[in-house]
Amino acid sequence: MDIKAYIESGVIESYLLGMADAEEVAELQRLSLEYPEVVAAIKEREQWLREFSEATGRPASGGTKEQLLKSLHKEFAVTSGSVHVINRRFKFVAAAAVLALFVSAAGNVYLYRKYTKATGDFVALQKEQMQLLADNQSYHARLTTFDHDLKIMSQAGVIKVPLAGVKGKEGSLATVYWDMQSREVYLIANNLPAVPPGKQYQLWALVDGKPVDAGMISDCAFSLCYLKRVVNAAAFAITLEKAGGSAAPTLDQMFVIGNVKS
Amino acid sequence: MKGPQTYTTEQQLINGLKQREQAAFSYLYDHYSSALNGVIYNIIPDPNIATDILQEVFIKIWRLIDSYDPDKGRLFTWMFSIARSTAIDLARSKEWKNSKRNNSLTDDYAQLPDKSRPSSDLPELRKIVYTLKEEYKTIIELCYFEGYTQKEIATMEQIPLGTVKTRLRAALLQLKKKIKL
Repeated sequence: MDIKAYIESGVIESYLLGMADAEEVAELQRLSLEYPEVVAAIKEREQWLREFSEATGRPASGGTKEQLLKSLHKEFAVTSGSVHVINRRFKFVAAAAVLALFVSAAGNVYLYRKYTKATGDFVALQKEQMQLLADNQSYHARLTTFDHDLKIMSQAGVIKVPLAGVKGKEGSLATVYWDMQSREVYLIANNLPAVPPGKQYQLWALVDGKPVDAGMISDCAFSLCYLKRVVNAAAFAITLEKAGGSAAPTLDQMFVIGNVKS
Repeated sequence: MKGPQTYTTEQQLINGLKQREQAAFSYLYDHYSSALNGVIYNIIPDPNIATDILQEVFIKIWRLIDSYDPDKGRLFTWMFSIARSTAIDLARSKEWKNSKRNNSLTDDYAQLPDKSRPSSDLPELRKIVYTLKEEYKTIIELCYFEGYTQKEIATMEQIPLGTVKTRLRAALLQLKKKIKL
């Protein structure tokens, strides 16, 4: 095929002007795939068509563009102008939002501090209340003990035997409450020196001229301790012995002694 | 505010149109409306009707831009084809043919090409077509301005299709030669 003759035949012009039939269009498309010069010729004639159309152009009557813009106004994307307006409005809204955020944050800090303080106060009050409750319970327990002790002390048949400090232990003091009917012996250690480690005070009863074990004394400083039953005691004494007690009293370790007044 | 948007390449303009930018449409109108209006006016030499068609053409371009394929040709070639086919649709309508028949009592240009002399206010392309020899003038009138197919013309003129093809191509080459850019 003489491609140059084809290009110059006028078929490309008839194609571009919309006058070629389907057969001619198909042929042109096939040849433009095969020959780059056909493609180049089409491009050159497209340029010619445009230039010629511009040269023979006719300005449209005034107002046509405005009418078109009016008809199409809903189809246009948001223009940069309105974007700008939206941006300004957005900036204002954003500024207001940031301000609101700051106010809110400050409020939160204030409220959080108040909350923390209130929580602290509450915890402190709760502690105080617990303490008061504990104190109350301890007072109650002590009162119950005193009540119990007082009942024993004031019971009919119970005699009080004060044990005074021996020579060298003058400040020491203990008191025995002895129930003459049940023979039960109670003791309150009013003032005995602190016990060294491994040692314990022991109460003795003097029965028929002999010392008899009347029980080990542990924590008897604030309330009556029940010790043992003792029969026919003439006197009571306390010595410091090894922990657990001894069979016979260590006499040089005697702290207090007192006779039973019958 | 920014000045009018400019599109330095055809692709930028096409992208702008596809993104529905008013600026792109505005640019398209400013740069192509005169050429397209000329194309329409060559076929429909009535300024008011041509303006209506031009509006229709721009609305079509705007709405059909997504179907435009740059591989198949330049943007102008595509728009030219829309402008010509829209104008021809009207040229072949009964209304236009009737108005032309009425006008033909006074206006010689509106008649078919066998009427000889062109008047001075004829559209540019028609003026040049009138200078062609009779058989070329007829075939371009029928094929380009009235939109008959080559096959239809062969039947109408009772000549072989091959002759129509040869004659049309020759007529176009003659016409092109006469057009001084």
